[in-house]
Amino acid sequence: MTEGAPGHSSTAIRLEDVCKTYPGSAHPAVESLSLEIRAGEVMVLVGPSGCGKTTTLKMINRIIEPTSGRIWIEGTDALTTPPHVLRRGIGYVIQQVGLFPHRTVGENIATVPELLGWEEGAVKRRVAELAKLVGLDPELLGRYPAQLSGGQQQRVGVARALAADPPVLLMDEPFAAVDPIVRQRLQEELVSLQRRLRKTIVFVTHDLDEAILLADRMAVLNLGGKIEQLGTPAEILANPATPFVESFLGRERGLRRLSLLTVEEIDLEKGPVVGPGDGPSAAGQAMDRYGTDWVVVVEDGRLLGWKWGADLADEPHGFRASVAPSDTLRRALDVILTSHTQVAVVEEGGRYLGIIDAAAIGRALAG
Amino acid sequence: MIDWAWIGSHLGEIAARTGEHVLLTVIALVVGFALSMLLAWLAWARPRSYGPITWTAGILYTIPSIALFALLVPFTGLSLLTAEIGLVSYTLLILIRNIVTGLQGTPPSVVEAGLGMGFSDREVLWRLRLPLAVPVVISGLRVAAVTTIGLVTVTALIGRGGLGVFILRGLQRAFTTEILVGTVVTVALALLVDSAFVLAERRLAPWVDRATVR
Repeated sequence: MTEGAPGHSSTAIRLEDVCKTYPGSAHPAVESLSLEIRAGEVMVLVGPSGCGKTTTLKMINRIIEPTSGRIWIEGTDALTTPPHVLRRGIGYVIQQVGLFPHRTVGENIATVPELLGWEEGAVKRRVAELAKLVGLDPELLGRYPAQLSGGQQQRVGVARALAADPPVLLMDEPFAAVDPIVRQRLQEELVSLQRRLRKTIVFVTHDLDEAILLADRMAVLNLGGKIEQLGTPAEILANPATPFVESFLGRERGLRRLSLLTVEEIDLEKGPVVGPGDGPSAAGQAMDRYGTDWVVVVEDGRLLGWKWGADLADEPHGFRASVAPSDTLRRALDVILTSHTQVAVVEEGGRYLGIIDAAAIGRALAG
Repeated sequence: MIDWAWIGSHLGEIAARTGEHVLLTVIALVVGFALSMLLAWLAWARPRSYGPITWTAGILYTIPSIALFALLVPFTGLSLLTAEIGLVSYTLLILIRNIVTGLQGTPPSVVEAGLGMGFSDREVLWRLRLPLAVPVVISGLRVAAVTTIGLVTVTALIGRGGLGVFILRGLQRAFTTEILVGTVVTVALALLVDSAFVLAERRLAPWVDRATVR
Protein backbone atom coordinates (compact mmCIF):
# COMPACT_ATOMS: atom_id res chain seq x y z
CA MET A 1 0.00 0.00 0.00
CA THR A 2 2.79 2.30 -0.85
CA GLU A 3 0.75 4.48 -3.18
CA GLY A 4 -0.72 6.41 -0.25
CA ALA A 5 -4.33 6.89 0.65
CA PRO A 6 -6.63 9.28 -1.14
CA GLY A 7 -8.60 11.87 0.81
CA HIS A 8 -5.69 12.95 2.98
CA SER A 9 -7.69 15.94 4.10
CA SER A 10 -10.20 14.16 6.35
CA THR A 11 -9.22 12.88 9.76
CA ALA A 12 -10.94 9.66 10.85
CA ILE A 13 -9.43 9.25 14.30
CA ARG A 14 -7.82 11.91 16.43
CA LEU A 15 -6.00 11.21 19.69
CA GLU A 16 -5.32 14.29 21.81
CA ASP A 17 -2.84 14.09 24.69
CA VAL A 18 -4.01 10.60 25.53
CA CYS A 19 -2.48 9.10 28.69
CA LYS A 20 -2.79 5.74 30.33
CA THR A 21 -1.33 4.86 33.69
CA TYR A 22 -2.20 1.40 34.94
CA PRO A 23 -3.13 1.19 38.63
CA GLY A 24 -0.10 0.42 40.76
CA SER A 25 2.33 1.36 38.02
CA ALA A 26 4.82 4.16 38.57
CA HIS A 27 5.29 5.03 34.91
CA PRO A 28 2.53 5.69 32.41
CA ALA A 29 2.16 3.03 29.71
CA VAL A 30 1.26 5.85 27.35
CA GLU A 31 2.24 9.38 28.21
CA SER A 32 0.55 12.15 26.31
CA LEU A 33 0.19 10.71 22.84
CA SER A 34 -1.35 12.77 20.05
CA LEU A 35 -1.98 11.29 16.62
CA GLU A 36 -4.22 11.95 13.66
CA ILE A 37 -5.26 9.04 11.51
CA ARG A 38 -6.61 9.89 8.09
CA ALA A 39 -9.74 8.37 6.62
CA GLY A 40 -8.93 5.38 4.44
CA GLU A 41 -5.31 4.96 5.47
CA VAL A 42 -3.57 2.08 7.13
CA MET A 43 -1.76 3.45 10.17
CA VAL A 44 0.65 0.95 11.65
CA LEU A 45 1.81 1.40 15.23
CA VAL A 46 5.13 -0.35 15.50
CA GLY A 47 7.70 -0.61 18.26
CA PRO A 48 9.32 -2.94 20.75
CA SER A 49 7.22 -4.73 23.37
CA GLY A 50 6.19 -2.46 26.19
CA CYS A 51 6.11 0.64 23.99
CA GLY A 52 2.38 1.11 24.54
CA LYS A 53 1.25 0.36 21.00
CA THR A 54 -1.41 -2.16 22.05
CA THR A 55 -2.54 0.08 24.91
CA THR A 56 -2.93 2.92 22.41
CA LEU A 57 -4.97 0.76 20.05
CA LYS A 58 -7.24 -0.52 22.80
CA MET A 59 -7.95 2.96 24.05
CA ILE A 60 -9.54 3.79 20.70
CA ASN A 61 -12.42 1.34 21.33
CA ARG A 62 -12.09 1.74 25.11
CA ILE A 63 -11.25 -1.88 25.86
CA ILE A 64 -8.71 0.08 27.90
CA GLU A 65 -10.01 3.34 29.38
CA PRO A 66 -7.63 6.28 28.96
CA THR A 67 -6.54 7.99 32.18
CA SER A 68 -6.81 11.35 30.46
CA GLY A 69 -6.95 12.94 27.05
CA ARG A 70 -9.53 12.99 24.29
CA ILE A 71 -10.32 10.64 21.42
CA TRP A 72 -12.41 11.55 18.40
CA ILE A 73 -13.67 8.95 15.95
CA GLU A 74 -15.33 10.20 12.77
CA GLY A 75 -16.13 13.43 14.53
CA THR A 76 -17.76 11.93 17.63
CA ASP A 77 -16.26 12.04 21.10
CA ALA A 78 -15.40 8.43 21.86
CA LEU A 79 -15.12 8.98 25.59
CA THR A 80 -18.67 10.26 26.03
CA THR A 81 -20.27 7.61 23.80
CA PRO A 82 -21.41 4.45 25.66
CA PRO A 83 -18.68 1.87 24.98
CA HIS A 84 -20.95 -0.83 23.54
CA VAL A 85 -22.47 1.66 21.08
CA LEU A 86 -19.05 2.96 20.10
CA ARG A 87 -17.67 -0.55 19.56
CA ARG A 88 -20.49 -1.68 17.28
CA GLY A 89 -19.18 0.86 14.77
CA ILE A 90 -15.54 -0.26 15.02
CA GLY A 91 -14.21 -3.52 13.64
CA TYR A 92 -11.89 -5.31 16.06
CA VAL A 93 -9.44 -8.12 15.31
CA ILE A 94 -7.10 -9.54 17.96
CA GLN A 95 -4.18 -11.93 17.88
CA GLN A 96 -5.96 -14.76 19.72
CA VAL A 97 -8.94 -14.20 17.36
CA GLY A 98 -11.45 -14.77 20.17
CA LEU A 99 -14.05 -16.53 18.06
CA PHE A 100 -17.06 -17.66 20.09
CA PRO A 101 -16.47 -21.43 20.45
CA HIS A 102 -20.15 -22.31 20.89
CA ARG A 103 -21.32 -20.51 17.77
CA THR A 104 -20.80 -21.67 14.20
CA VAL A 105 -18.53 -19.77 11.84
CA GLY A 106 -21.59 -18.21 10.18
CA GLU A 107 -23.06 -17.18 13.53
CA ASN A 108 -19.73 -15.68 14.57
CA ILE A 109 -19.60 -13.55 11.45
CA ALA A 110 -23.23 -12.49 12.00
CA THR A 111 -22.53 -11.21 15.55
CA VAL A 112 -22.58 -7.45 15.01
CA PRO A 113 -25.34 -7.34 12.34
CA GLU A 114 -27.51 -9.33 14.76
CA LEU A 115 -26.66 -6.99 17.63
CA LEU A 116 -27.67 -4.09 15.40
CA GLY A 117 -30.99 -5.81 14.70
CA TRP A 118 -30.56 -6.46 10.98
CA GLU A 119 -33.35 -8.40 9.36
CA GLU A 120 -32.57 -12.13 9.05
CA GLY A 121 -32.32 -12.30 5.26
CA ALA A 122 -29.94 -9.35 5.19
CA VAL A 123 -27.71 -10.99 7.81
CA LYS A 124 -27.58 -14.20 5.80
CA ARG A 125 -26.70 -12.42 2.57
CA ARG A 126 -24.02 -10.41 4.36
CA VAL A 127 -22.44 -13.53 5.87
CA ALA A 128 -22.25 -15.21 2.46
CA GLU A 129 -20.77 -12.04 0.95
CA LEU A 130 -18.11 -11.80 3.67
CA ALA A 131 -17.13 -15.46 3.39
CA LYS A 132 -16.41 -14.80 -0.26
CA LEU A 133 -14.59 -11.55 0.48
CA VAL A 134 -12.12 -13.13 2.91
CA GLY A 135 -11.74 -16.33 0.89
CA LEU A 136 -13.61 -18.74 3.15
CA ASP A 137 -15.18 -21.88 1.74
CA PRO A 138 -18.99 -21.48 2.30
CA GLU A 139 -18.98 -25.08 3.50
CA LEU A 140 -17.11 -23.92 6.63
CA LEU A 141 -19.93 -21.58 7.70
CA GLY A 142 -21.76 -24.39 9.51
CA ARG A 143 -18.70 -25.59 11.40
CA TYR A 144 -17.50 -24.63 14.84
CA PRO A 145 -14.32 -22.54 15.23
CA ALA A 146 -12.35 -25.39 16.83
CA GLN A 147 -12.71 -27.31 13.58
CA LEU A 148 -10.82 -24.67 11.57
CA SER A 149 -7.10 -24.13 11.04
CA GLY A 150 -5.42 -21.08 12.56
CA GLY A 151 -5.40 -19.27 9.23
CA GLN A 152 -9.07 -19.99 8.61
CA GLN A 153 -9.92 -18.81 12.13
CA GLN A 154 -8.21 -15.49 11.54
CA ARG A 155 -10.10 -15.10 8.24
CA VAL A 156 -13.31 -15.57 10.21
CA GLY A 157 -12.04 -13.00 12.71
CA VAL A 158 -11.53 -10.47 9.91
CA ALA A 159 -14.93 -11.28 8.37
CA ARG A 160 -16.62 -10.85 11.76
CA ALA A 161 -14.93 -7.48 12.25
CA LEU A 162 -16.05 -6.29 8.80
CA ALA A 163 -19.60 -7.64 9.09
CA ALA A 164 -21.48 -4.41 9.77
CA ASP A 165 -19.21 -2.48 7.37
CA PRO A 166 -17.61 -0.26 10.03
CA PRO A 167 -15.53 2.64 8.69
CA VAL A 168 -12.77 1.94 11.21
CA LEU A 169 -10.92 -1.30 11.82
CA LEU A 170 -8.58 -1.95 14.76
CA MET A 171 -6.16 -4.86 14.37
CA ASP A 172 -3.92 -5.97 17.22
CA GLU A 173 -1.12 -8.22 15.92
CA PRO A 174 -3.74 -10.23 14.02
CA PHE A 175 -1.29 -12.45 12.15
CA ALA A 176 1.32 -13.00 14.87
CA ALA A 177 0.00 -16.39 15.96
CA VAL A 178 -0.12 -18.12 12.55
CA ASP A 179 2.81 -19.77 10.81
CA PRO A 180 4.97 -17.67 8.48
CA ILE A 181 3.56 -18.99 5.21
CA VAL A 182 -0.05 -18.44 6.22
CA ARG A 183 0.92 -15.08 7.71
CA GLN A 184 2.34 -13.89 4.42
CA ARG A 185 -0.78 -14.94 2.57
CA LEU A 186 -3.05 -13.22 5.09
CA GLN A 187 -0.96 -10.07 4.81
CA GLU A 188 -1.20 -10.07 1.04
CA GLU A 189 -4.94 -10.68 1.25
CA LEU A 190 -5.32 -7.75 3.62
CA VAL A 191 -3.46 -5.53 1.17
CA SER A 192 -5.78 -6.47 -1.68
CA LEU A 193 -8.86 -6.30 0.56
CA GLN A 194 -7.90 -2.80 1.67
CA ARG A 195 -7.42 -1.72 -1.94
CA ARG A 196 -11.10 -2.40 -2.46
CA LEU A 197 -12.53 -1.41 0.92
CA ARG A 198 -10.50 1.68 1.86
CA LYS A 199 -11.20 1.35 5.58
CA THR A 200 -9.42 3.40 8.15
CA ILE A 201 -7.21 0.75 9.72
CA VAL A 202 -5.10 1.05 12.85
CA PHE A 203 -2.76 -1.92 12.91
CA VAL A 204 -0.41 -2.88 15.74
CA THR A 205 2.62 -5.05 15.14
CA HIS A 206 6.15 -5.58 16.42
CA ASP A 207 7.13 -7.02 13.04
CA LEU A 208 8.89 -4.35 10.99
CA ASP A 209 8.49 -6.16 7.68
CA GLU A 210 4.77 -6.49 8.29
CA ALA A 211 4.59 -2.78 9.10
CA ILE A 212 6.45 -1.85 5.91
CA LEU A 213 4.23 -4.09 3.80
CA LEU A 214 0.92 -2.85 5.17
CA ALA A 215 1.43 0.75 6.22
CA ASP A 216 0.38 3.83 4.35
CA ARG A 217 1.95 5.63 7.27
CA MET A 218 3.56 4.22 10.35
CA ALA A 219 4.33 5.53 13.81
CA VAL A 220 7.45 4.18 15.47
CA LEU A 221 6.80 4.13 19.23
CA ASN A 222 9.29 4.16 22.08
CA LEU A 223 8.59 3.32 25.73
CA GLY A 224 5.68 5.27 27.16
CA GLY A 225 3.99 5.59 23.79
CA LYS A 226 6.40 8.28 22.65
CA ILE A 227 6.16 8.73 18.88
CA GLU A 228 9.76 8.76 17.67
CA GLN A 229 8.84 9.15 14.03
CA LEU A 230 5.70 9.35 11.94
CA GLY A 231 5.73 8.96 8.18
CA THR A 232 5.46 6.64 5.23
CA PRO A 233 7.62 3.50 5.42
CA ALA A 234 9.77 4.86 2.57
CA GLU A 235 10.36 8.17 4.39
CA ILE A 236 11.24 6.48 7.64
CA LEU A 237 13.56 3.93 6.07
CA ALA A 238 15.30 6.60 4.01
CA ASN A 239 15.68 9.09 6.87
CA PRO A 240 15.37 7.70 10.39
CA ALA A 241 14.67 10.72 12.60
CA THR A 242 16.36 9.50 15.79
CA PRO A 243 18.96 6.96 16.88
CA PHE A 244 16.13 4.93 18.42
CA VAL A 245 14.38 4.64 15.06
CA GLU A 246 17.63 3.82 13.33
CA SER A 247 18.41 1.01 15.74
CA PHE A 248 14.82 -0.25 15.59
CA LEU A 249 15.00 -0.40 11.80
CA GLY A 250 18.10 -2.52 12.17
CA ARG A 251 20.96 -3.36 9.87
CA GLU A 252 18.80 -4.45 6.97
CA ARG A 253 17.35 -1.00 6.42
CA GLY A 254 18.72 -0.87 2.87
CA LEU A 255 17.27 -4.25 1.97
CA ARG A 256 13.93 -3.27 3.45
CA ARG A 257 13.87 -0.11 1.34
CA LEU A 258 14.37 -2.31 -1.71
CA SER A 259 11.03 -3.93 -1.03
CA LEU A 260 9.31 -0.54 -1.09
CA LEU A 261 10.59 0.55 -4.52
CA THR A 262 9.40 -0.97 -7.77
CA VAL A 263 11.35 -1.43 -10.97
CA GLU A 264 9.19 1.08 -12.84
CA GLU A 265 10.00 3.78 -10.28
CA ILE A 266 13.66 3.97 -11.28
CA ASP A 267 15.18 5.24 -14.53
CA LEU A 268 15.70 2.11 -16.59
CA GLU A 269 18.60 1.87 -18.99
CA LYS A 270 17.74 1.17 -22.57
CA GLY A 271 20.55 -1.39 -22.94
CA PRO A 272 22.58 -2.53 -26.00
CA VAL A 273 19.58 -2.95 -28.26
CA VAL A 274 19.79 -4.11 -31.86
CA GLY A 275 17.23 -5.18 -34.44
CA PRO A 276 17.09 -8.81 -35.63
CA GLY A 277 18.67 -7.94 -38.97
CA ASP A 278 21.37 -5.56 -37.68
CA GLY A 279 24.97 -6.27 -38.60
CA PRO A 280 28.25 -6.08 -36.65
CA SER A 281 28.65 -2.29 -36.91
CA ALA A 282 25.30 -1.53 -35.24
CA ALA A 283 25.97 -4.20 -32.64
CA GLY A 284 29.46 -2.86 -32.00
CA GLN A 285 28.13 0.63 -31.38
CA ALA A 286 25.47 -0.62 -28.99
CA MET A 287 28.00 -2.75 -27.05
CA ASP A 288 30.52 0.07 -26.84
CA ARG A 289 27.92 2.38 -25.32
CA TYR A 290 27.15 -0.06 -22.50
CA GLY A 291 30.49 -1.84 -22.23
CA THR A 292 29.02 -5.28 -22.89
CA ASP A 293 29.94 -8.16 -25.17
CA TRP A 294 26.33 -9.01 -25.86
CA VAL A 295 23.27 -7.34 -27.33
CA VAL A 296 19.52 -7.39 -26.75
CA VAL A 297 17.52 -8.25 -29.84
CA VAL A 298 14.27 -6.31 -30.10
CA GLU A 299 11.84 -6.16 -32.99
CA ASP A 300 9.11 -3.49 -32.99
CA GLY A 301 9.31 -3.23 -29.19
CA ARG A 302 9.04 -7.00 -28.74
CA LEU A 303 11.84 -8.81 -26.92
CA LEU A 304 13.39 -11.65 -28.95
CA GLY A 305 16.34 -12.45 -26.66
CA TRP A 306 20.07 -11.80 -26.53
CA LYS A 307 23.15 -12.72 -28.61
CA TRP A 308 26.89 -12.65 -28.14
CA GLY A 309 28.36 -9.78 -30.10
CA ALA A 310 30.73 -12.27 -31.73
CA ASP A 311 27.96 -14.62 -32.86
CA LEU A 312 25.39 -12.35 -34.43
CA ALA A 313 24.33 -15.07 -36.82
CA ASP A 314 23.00 -17.23 -33.96
CA GLU A 315 19.36 -17.42 -32.97
CA PRO A 316 18.73 -15.16 -29.94
CA HIS A 317 18.95 -16.83 -26.49
CA GLY A 318 16.26 -16.38 -23.86
CA PHE A 319 17.07 -14.26 -20.80
CA ARG A 320 17.49 -16.24 -17.61
CA ALA A 321 16.74 -13.21 -15.46
CA SER A 322 13.57 -11.30 -16.16
CA VAL A 323 11.43 -8.96 -14.08
CA ALA A 324 8.20 -7.05 -14.57
CA PRO A 325 7.88 -3.27 -14.01
CA SER A 326 5.64 -3.87 -10.97
CA ASP A 327 8.23 -6.08 -9.24
CA THR A 328 10.11 -4.65 -6.28
CA LEU A 329 13.79 -3.83 -6.45
CA ARG A 330 14.28 -6.51 -3.82
CA ARG A 331 12.86 -9.08 -6.21
CA ALA A 332 14.95 -7.72 -9.08
CA LEU A 333 18.12 -8.02 -7.02
CA ASP A 334 17.16 -11.52 -5.98
CA VAL A 335 16.57 -12.55 -9.61
CA ILE A 336 19.95 -11.16 -10.64
CA LEU A 337 21.78 -12.93 -7.81
CA THR A 338 20.08 -16.30 -8.13
CA SER A 339 20.42 -16.52 -11.91
CA HIS A 340 24.19 -15.79 -11.72
CA THR A 341 24.02 -12.93 -14.18
CA GLN A 342 24.83 -9.26 -13.79
CA VAL A 343 21.66 -8.03 -15.36
CA ALA A 344 17.94 -8.68 -15.65
CA VAL A 345 15.72 -7.76 -18.54
CA VAL A 346 12.60 -5.75 -17.82
CA GLU A 347 9.62 -6.82 -19.85
CA GLU A 348 5.89 -6.97 -19.63
CA GLY A 349 4.00 -9.44 -21.76
CA GLY A 350 6.90 -9.77 -24.21
CA ARG A 351 7.30 -6.00 -24.56
CA TYR A 352 10.88 -4.88 -23.96
CA LEU A 353 11.30 -2.05 -21.46
CA GLY A 354 15.00 -2.01 -20.60
CA ILE A 355 17.61 -3.63 -18.41
CA ILE A 356 18.39 -3.39 -14.74
CA ASP A 357 21.58 -4.34 -12.89
CA ALA A 358 22.87 -4.28 -9.33
CA ALA A 359 24.58 -0.93 -9.89
CA ALA A 360 21.30 0.66 -11.01
CA ILE A 361 19.60 -0.70 -7.89
CA GLY A 362 22.36 0.77 -5.75
CA ARG A 363 21.95 4.17 -7.41
CA ALA A 364 18.20 4.07 -6.77
CA LEU A 365 18.80 3.62 -3.02
CA ALA A 366 21.34 6.42 -2.90
CA GLY A 367 19.07 8.79 -4.79
CA MET B 1 -28.18 -67.81 46.58
CA ILE B 2 -30.61 -65.57 44.75
CA ASP B 3 -34.25 -66.19 45.42
CA TRP B 4 -35.71 -65.57 41.97
CA ALA B 5 -39.20 -66.47 43.17
CA TRP B 6 -39.09 -63.60 45.67
CA ILE B 7 -38.08 -61.23 42.93
CA GLY B 8 -40.87 -62.47 40.68
CA SER B 9 -43.47 -61.91 43.37
CA HIS B 10 -42.17 -58.44 44.28
CA LEU B 11 -41.89 -56.84 40.81
CA GLY B 12 -44.69 -54.46 41.68
CA GLU B 13 -42.96 -53.22 44.82
CA ILE B 14 -39.61 -52.93 43.01
CA ALA B 15 -41.25 -50.67 40.44
CA ALA B 16 -42.97 -48.60 43.11
CA ARG B 17 -39.78 -48.18 45.18
CA THR B 18 -37.85 -47.21 42.04
CA GLY B 19 -40.48 -44.57 41.34
CA GLU B 20 -40.11 -43.18 44.89
CA HIS B 21 -36.35 -43.20 44.49
CA VAL B 22 -36.51 -41.28 41.23
CA LEU B 23 -38.94 -38.74 42.66
CA LEU B 24 -36.75 -38.08 45.72
CA THR B 25 -33.73 -37.68 43.44
CA VAL B 26 -35.45 -35.38 40.95
CA ILE B 27 -36.78 -33.07 43.68
CA ALA B 28 -33.33 -32.87 45.27
CA LEU B 29 -31.62 -32.09 41.95
CA VAL B 30 -34.16 -29.52 40.79
CA VAL B 31 -34.20 -27.68 44.10
CA GLY B 32 -30.43 -28.05 44.53
CA PHE B 33 -29.73 -26.75 41.04
CA ALA B 34 -32.06 -23.77 41.43
CA LEU B 35 -30.52 -22.88 44.78
CA SER B 36 -27.02 -23.34 43.40
CA MET B 37 -27.70 -21.09 40.41
CA LEU B 38 -28.94 -18.42 42.78
CA LEU B 39 -25.94 -18.74 45.08
CA ALA B 40 -23.49 -18.96 42.16
CA TRP B 41 -25.02 -15.83 40.69
CA LEU B 42 -24.59 -14.12 44.06
CA ALA B 43 -20.98 -15.27 44.23
CA TRP B 44 -20.45 -14.00 40.68
CA ALA B 45 -22.06 -10.62 41.30
CA ARG B 46 -20.40 -10.18 44.72
CA PRO B 47 -17.06 -11.99 44.48
CA ARG B 48 -16.43 -11.51 48.19
CA SER B 49 -19.37 -13.76 48.98
CA TYR B 50 -17.86 -16.70 47.08
CA GLY B 51 -15.61 -17.77 49.97
CA PRO B 52 -18.33 -17.86 52.66
CA ILE B 53 -20.82 -19.54 50.29
CA THR B 54 -18.51 -22.41 49.33
CA TRP B 55 -17.27 -22.69 52.92
CA THR B 56 -20.84 -23.19 54.16
CA ALA B 57 -21.65 -25.63 51.37
CA GLY B 58 -18.42 -27.46 52.18
CA ILE B 59 -19.36 -27.82 55.86
CA LEU B 60 -22.77 -29.21 54.89
CA TYR B 61 -21.06 -31.62 52.54
CA THR B 62 -18.84 -33.05 55.30
CA ILE B 63 -21.66 -33.88 57.73
CA PRO B 64 -22.35 -37.62 57.51
CA SER B 65 -25.79 -38.16 56.01
CA ILE B 66 -27.12 -40.33 58.84
CA ALA B 67 -26.03 -37.71 61.38
CA LEU B 68 -27.68 -34.94 59.37
CA PHE B 69 -31.00 -36.77 59.21
CA ALA B 70 -30.79 -37.52 62.95
CA LEU B 71 -30.16 -33.83 63.63
CA LEU B 72 -33.13 -32.75 61.51
CA VAL B 73 -35.74 -35.21 62.76
CA PRO B 74 -36.46 -33.33 66.04
CA PHE B 75 -37.28 -30.23 63.98
CA THR B 76 -38.91 -31.48 60.83
CA GLY B 77 -39.98 -35.02 61.76
CA LEU B 78 -39.83 -38.09 59.55
CA SER B 79 -40.98 -35.97 56.62
CA LEU B 80 -40.20 -35.48 52.96
CA LEU B 81 -38.80 -32.11 54.00
CA THR B 82 -36.22 -33.78 56.26
CA ALA B 83 -35.13 -36.06 53.44
CA GLU B 84 -34.89 -33.25 50.90
CA ILE B 85 -33.04 -30.83 53.19
CA GLY B 86 -30.36 -33.46 53.54
CA LEU B 87 -30.26 -34.43 49.87
CA VAL B 88 -30.25 -30.83 48.61
CA SER B 89 -27.43 -29.89 51.02
CA TYR B 90 -25.16 -32.46 49.47
CA THR B 91 -25.68 -31.15 45.91
CA LEU B 92 -24.81 -27.55 46.72
CA LEU B 93 -21.01 -27.68 46.96
CA ILE B 94 -20.38 -29.46 43.70
CA LEU B 95 -23.01 -27.52 41.76
CA ILE B 96 -22.04 -24.04 43.01
CA ARG B 97 -18.36 -24.73 42.41
CA ASN B 98 -18.93 -26.01 38.90
CA ILE B 99 -21.25 -23.19 37.91
CA VAL B 100 -18.80 -20.54 39.14
CA THR B 101 -15.82 -22.34 37.58
CA GLY B 102 -17.77 -22.58 34.34
CA LEU B 103 -18.52 -18.85 34.33
CA GLN B 104 -14.90 -18.03 35.09
CA GLY B 105 -13.62 -20.43 32.45
CA THR B 106 -14.47 -18.29 29.41
CA PRO B 107 -11.20 -17.59 27.58
CA PRO B 108 -10.19 -13.92 28.08
CA SER B 109 -9.83 -13.49 24.32
CA VAL B 110 -13.47 -14.52 23.83
CA VAL B 111 -14.61 -11.98 26.42
CA GLU B 112 -12.43 -9.29 24.86
CA ALA B 113 -13.75 -10.06 21.38
CA GLY B 114 -17.31 -9.99 22.71
CA LEU B 115 -16.76 -6.59 24.30
CA GLY B 116 -15.01 -5.42 21.13
CA MET B 117 -18.03 -6.43 19.03
CA GLY B 118 -20.22 -4.29 21.29
CA PHE B 119 -21.62 -6.72 23.87
CA SER B 120 -22.64 -5.16 27.19
CA ASP B 121 -21.40 -6.87 30.38
CA ARG B 122 -24.78 -8.54 30.71
CA GLU B 123 -24.60 -9.82 27.12
CA VAL B 124 -21.14 -11.20 27.80
CA LEU B 125 -22.62 -13.13 30.76
CA TRP B 126 -25.72 -14.42 28.99
CA ARG B 127 -24.43 -14.92 25.46
CA LEU B 128 -20.88 -16.06 26.17
CA ARG B 129 -20.14 -17.09 29.74
CA LEU B 130 -23.34 -18.98 30.47
CA PRO B 131 -23.56 -21.08 27.29
CA LEU B 132 -19.84 -21.80 27.45
CA ALA B 133 -20.25 -22.98 31.07
CA VAL B 134 -22.76 -25.67 30.03
CA PRO B 135 -20.28 -28.58 29.82
CA VAL B 136 -18.81 -27.84 33.26
CA VAL B 137 -22.25 -27.34 34.80
CA ILE B 138 -23.49 -30.62 33.34
CA SER B 139 -20.47 -32.49 34.65
CA GLY B 140 -21.34 -31.04 38.07
CA LEU B 141 -24.92 -32.24 37.64
CA ARG B 142 -23.67 -35.74 36.77
CA VAL B 143 -21.70 -35.99 39.99
CA ALA B 144 -24.55 -34.49 42.02
CA ALA B 145 -27.09 -36.88 40.48
CA VAL B 146 -25.04 -40.01 41.08
CA THR B 147 -24.26 -38.91 44.65
CA THR B 148 -27.92 -38.17 45.32
CA ILE B 149 -29.11 -41.51 43.95
CA GLY B 150 -26.75 -43.22 46.37
CA LEU B 151 -27.82 -41.04 49.28
CA VAL B 152 -31.53 -41.61 48.70
CA THR B 153 -31.04 -45.21 49.89
CA VAL B 154 -30.30 -43.71 53.31
CA THR B 155 -33.62 -41.84 53.40
CA ALA B 156 -35.30 -45.24 53.87
CA LEU B 157 -34.16 -44.84 57.48
CA ILE B 158 -36.59 -41.98 57.99
CA GLY B 159 -39.41 -43.78 56.25
CA ARG B 160 -39.42 -41.95 52.94
CA GLY B 161 -39.28 -45.10 50.82
CA GLY B 162 -37.03 -45.61 47.84
CA LEU B 163 -34.80 -48.55 46.99
CA GLY B 164 -33.08 -48.26 50.38
CA VAL B 165 -36.13 -49.97 51.87
CA PHE B 166 -35.01 -53.28 50.27
CA ILE B 167 -31.48 -52.91 51.57
CA LEU B 168 -32.65 -52.03 55.08
CA ARG B 169 -35.18 -54.85 55.24
CA GLY B 170 -32.75 -57.31 53.73
CA LEU B 171 -30.16 -56.43 56.36
CA GLN B 172 -32.67 -56.83 59.18
CA ARG B 173 -33.75 -60.23 57.90
CA ALA B 174 -30.31 -61.30 56.62
CA PHE B 175 -31.94 -61.87 53.21
CA THR B 176 -29.30 -61.44 50.52
CA THR B 177 -31.69 -61.32 47.56
CA GLU B 178 -33.47 -58.26 48.85
CA ILE B 179 -30.17 -56.45 49.59
CA LEU B 180 -28.95 -57.26 46.10
CA VAL B 181 -32.14 -56.07 44.45
CA GLY B 182 -31.92 -52.72 46.27
CA THR B 183 -28.25 -52.32 45.42
CA VAL B 184 -28.35 -53.41 41.77
CA VAL B 185 -31.35 -51.32 40.85
CA THR B 186 -29.78 -48.28 42.56
CA VAL B 187 -26.54 -48.73 40.65
CA ALA B 188 -28.42 -49.26 37.39
CA LEU B 189 -30.42 -46.12 38.02
CA ALA B 190 -27.24 -44.13 38.67
CA LEU B 191 -25.62 -45.38 35.45
CA LEU B 192 -28.77 -44.64 33.46
CA VAL B 193 -29.04 -41.08 34.77
CA ASP B 194 -25.34 -40.50 34.20
CA SER B 195 -25.63 -41.57 30.55
CA ALA B 196 -28.70 -39.37 30.17
CA PHE B 197 -26.62 -36.38 31.23
CA VAL B 198 -23.85 -37.32 28.81
CA LEU B 199 -26.40 -37.36 25.99
CA ALA B 200 -27.85 -34.07 27.19
CA GLU B 201 -24.40 -32.50 27.11
CA ARG B 202 -23.91 -33.59 23.50
CA ARG B 203 -27.22 -31.98 22.61
CA LEU B 204 -26.67 -28.78 24.57
CA ALA B 205 -22.97 -28.30 23.84
CA PRO B 206 -22.45 -29.71 20.36
CA TRP B 207 -19.32 -27.62 19.80
CA VAL B 208 -17.38 -29.58 22.41
CA ASP B 209 -17.99 -32.96 20.88
CA ARG B 210 -17.24 -31.94 17.32
CA ALA B 211 -14.06 -30.14 18.16
CA THR B 212 -11.33 -32.00 16.36
CA VAL B 213 -7.64 -31.96 17.05
CA ARG B 214 -5.83 -29.87 14.47
